Amino acid sequence: MIYAGIDIGSITAKAALIKDNQLMGTHVILTGYDPINAGIKVFEALLKKTQVLKKDITAIVSTGYGRASVKFADKAMTEIICHGTGAYFINPEIRGIIDVGGQDSKAILLNASGQVENFAMNDKCAAGTGRFLEVMANALEVELNQLGDASLNADKPLKISSICTVFAESEVISMIAGQEKRENIIAGIHDSAAARVAILASKIKIKEPVMMTGGVAKNKGMVAALENRLGFKLIVERSAQENGAIGAAVLASKL
Amino acid sequence: MKEITIFHDAAKDLPGVAARIKAGQKKIIGFLCSYAPEELIYAAGFHPMRLFSSKSEIVLAEQHLQAYCCSLVRGVLEDSLSGRLDFLDGTVFPNTCDTIQRLSDIWRMNGRYEFFADVILPAKLNTQSARTYMTEVLTGFKKDLETAAGKEITDVDLQESIRKFNLIRKNLSKIYALQSQNPGIIKGADLYAIVKGSMVMDRDEVLDLLPAIVANLERRDIPQKSVKRIVVSGSICDSPDIYTALEAAGGVVVGDDLCTGQRWFEGEILADINPITAIASRLLDRVICPAKHSSPTARGENMVSLAKKNKADGVIFMLLKFCDPHAFDYPYLKEFLEREGIKTLLIEMDDQQQNSGQLATRFETFIHMI
Amino acid sequence: MSDKLSEKRKIKSAKKMRDIMTTYYIDAMTAGQNNKQVAWITSGGPVEPLVAMDIIPVYPENHGAMIGASKMGEDLCIKAEDLGYSSDLCSYARADIACAIVKGGPLGGLPKPDMLICCNNICGTVLKWYEVQARYYNVPLFILDTPICHTRYPPEIATYVRTQIDEYIVFLETITKRKFDYHKMAQVGKLAYEAQLLWQKVLNTTAQKPSPMSAFDAFFFLALIVTLRGTQTAVDFYRELLEEMEQRIKDGISMVPDEKYRLLWDNLPVWYRLKWLSEKFSDHNACLVADTYTSAWCGAIKYTDENNFLDSIAEAYTRIYLNIGVDQMADQVLDMIKFYDADGLVMHSNRSCKPYSFGQMDIMRIVREKTNIPVLMIEADMVDPRNFSQSQIETRIDAFMEIIKQKRL
Repeated sequence: MIYAGIDIGSITAKAALIKDNQLMGTHVILTGYDPINAGIKVFEALLKKTQVLKKDITAIVSTGYGRASVKFADKAMTEIICHGTGAYFINPEIRGIIDVGGQDSKAILLNASGQVENFAMNDKCAAGTGRFLEVMANALEVELNQLGDASLNADKPLKISSICTVFAESEVISMIAGQEKRENIIAGIHDSAAARVAILASKIKIKEPVMMTGGVAKNKGMVAALENRLGFKLIVERSAQENGAIGAAVLASKL
Repeated sequence: MKEITIFHDAAKDLPGVAARIKAGQKKIIGFLCSYAPEELIYAAGFHPMRLFSSKSEIVLAEQHLQAYCCSLVRGVLEDSLSGRLDFLDGTVFPNTCDTIQRLSDIWRMNGRYEFFADVILPAKLNTQSARTYMTEVLTGFKKDLETAAGKEITDVDLQESIRKFNLIRKNLSKIYALQSQNPGIIKGADLYAIVKGSMVMDRDEVLDLLPAIVANLERRDIPQKSVKRIVVSGSICDSPDIYTALEAAGGVVVGDDLCTGQRWFEGEILADINPITAIASRLLDRVICPAKHSSPTARGENMVSLAKKNKADGVIFMLLKFCDPHAFDYPYLKEFLEREGIKTLLIEMDDQQQNSGQLATRFETFIHMI
Repeated sequence: MSDKLSEKRKIKSAKKMRDIMTTYYIDAMTAGQNNKQVAWITSGGPVEPLVAMDIIPVYPENHGAMIGASKMGEDLCIKAEDLGYSSDLCSYARADIACAIVKGGPLGGLPKPDMLICCNNICGTVLKWYEVQARYYNVPLFILDTPICHTRYPPEIATYVRTQIDEYIVFLETITKRKFDYHKMAQVGKLAYEAQLLWQKVLNTTAQKPSPMSAFDAFFFLALIVTLRGTQTAVDFYRELLEEMEQRIKDGISMVPDEKYRLLWDNLPVWYRLKWLSEKFSDHNACLVADTYTSAWCGAIKYTDENNFLDSIAEAYTRIYLNIGVDQMADQVLDMIKFYDADGLVMHSNRSCKPYSFGQMDIMRIVREKTNIPVLMIEADMVDPRNFSQSQIETRIDAFMEIIKQKRL
């Protein structure tokens, strides 16, 4: 039996297929302005990729901010449960998850059976999320996917004191005007974002081993900054970005 | 001047100050509010030390206090939880505002320091029953201190303590008066350091240093430069850069209505009455804090009187973000002052936001306007 | 079929309460014409002496709740900010201060007060708020200063507050130019006590499984115990409401159809989103069976001597839920979790109320340590909707309920 999970995020939409408790495939596209369309598109693209027919899908679970717009899903569940399930599916040793997505970040605590015990999400401001990094990359005229490598080359990471994205941007602009090295500014930005996320982890007393999921996990600089703040290593899988969709598919198999 | 340098060093390095006090075998009792009965603490043989946030990043305090809490309280809690205040032997919490009240609970529940006392002073200061209650609370606090000190606090101890604190206050008032008469005779940042130092340093050392500073100022040449006379109003002002920025823009602070300024040291304790009653009287009668009540217009009248007495060209409100009592008074204080033709400026302050460029712009514009 | 069911679920007493509140506000608005005086009083203030003096009590905080519920909070708060009041200040105060000036809100403004009675047992904000109104209306202000009881209720506080009750009476006599009737006061005291007992009993009915009403209903029915405490009307009404609840229990009518999960709410309501919140939890088969806010109006029963009401006012009004230490508040929350058999705790981190919100994190920690039930924190504001992020809150509620459901399996 084949099950599907669809995760509509603020920046990207992901889909995953599970068959006989094995991951069959995943797909990622940009969400754009139309989440309903994005859900259909990513699902159909994945079906084509894996050569599976729609009628062979037994059940579908949707998740993410746009979960309600996946009209063809059998159930909508939150990203918290889906990320928890996905991480545990990939690696049953996992006891904690840190998910940094486009517009929010979360820390999730699992028990030994893979159930979510507790969670914490960021406040209203974007200071720990993908959106924050996007804004900063813009201010520094750097490609988003270059942020990671850049920060690893810093020799003197700078401190950004504001917790608000708008004020942080102001600070960064002052630093640029003060001709600080780009790498050092970026390292400061990563540390600032990591600090916000680490507070969430503290709130729920996260336990190792911890997996990092969400699109921002591809940013090596962020992973390093987070590990520095948390004081332990994070497990990053190739499926980090699609983790929510994977979890949704697993949950679909349990409906 | 080396005496002033000593104050600067102290103001910048509270742990250093604490270390020297502890080397002298004295115990340190910390406080956050200018209603703390320092004379009683001193008379018990302890060192009263005002606490300021070290402005470190807030990490541990996030587990106890939400972001809509003022940076003084979050910052000091952060320092405590991080171990930076481990030099404290105890703390005293006069009840001030809602935020401090809850900090007191969180602090007490953490149980980090040996001595802890709530001194629940009245919020109303204008009735006989409040006066009686205040006296009883102070008497109770005196007993707590005696238990902690393992000895009685005699009236003689108290009178001696009061004498010293009166002298400190007198000297600080004199320095302020000299600045008001001849604006610029002392740098604002120096004045800030002297006042802050007087709240944290060994009080006997403070008493040694202040008269020398007064004498030195009396001998200085009167500054000829024309400046705008500014009065500052607010709660905690722990940013010496404010004064430097203001002076760069052409203004000098000639008087203030600050919790960490004149409000803290104003008023003398009467010598010839019962010491507890005398201490209570000063707390009841001194320039009022917005978290206390004596009449709906007391603060406004005070503000106008202060501005006039110091011939203020303008008043700058430096309000700590999330400080409710000050924020509630601001609109009417502004109105009272503007009615007298005195222009005002509002600056919202927060430990976490230091944007000197913006501050300079606002000061320059304001000085230009007045 | 579903129409009849939802008709059955509606609480019949609601209509009566609306009528009573309408009459109450009409009386207040026409006080001048009837030669009566109006006093504005804080929600935690001792209203009984006012009732004994035939003064009409008006509650700006109850008005604040109405402003929130009618979704007029945002505009009024913005107006207050235009006047120079920081957007970080309590939204009840901001809305009321603006309302007085623009005569806004659902009633077109509250009737002008002849006097202001401010008791700071609930917070220090009311002191500042009432100073603002004292200046604006230029009327006498009486402050009942009830020092906070972090860990105990010492004799000096008892004496101080009791003395102020006498000062309060002198204040009222001076303004009304009438003598205080101690006999009438004793009668009013008995009625106040009885109403509180009945309110307690009403709140206790939700310990029943399934619960005949929810905290959202309690938020609505709270208004009478706040505004008409000390009157026969309040006693009669709560007696009827109690009977209706007891009948619902007999008939097996629950507020949430198919109640599976029981939750406790902490802090003030999110007045402008009650229906949405109620339906959101109801869709999850969860009933918010009790809350720490509405129970505050009968928490003082244990300190009240119905035969000596005037003397007991001091302790009853000083030792309320918000005027004690955070550890004591946590104990009360633990008691409620046990009494109502709650599966989870929902805490509203209310930007407008520092005494209620600061300490919540420590209470959360204690609840999790002692009971292991899930705790959800919702960041919002009671009247200002600009601090409410529906999408984020929806996700949090869903995730919280998913955890609770998982625990049950």
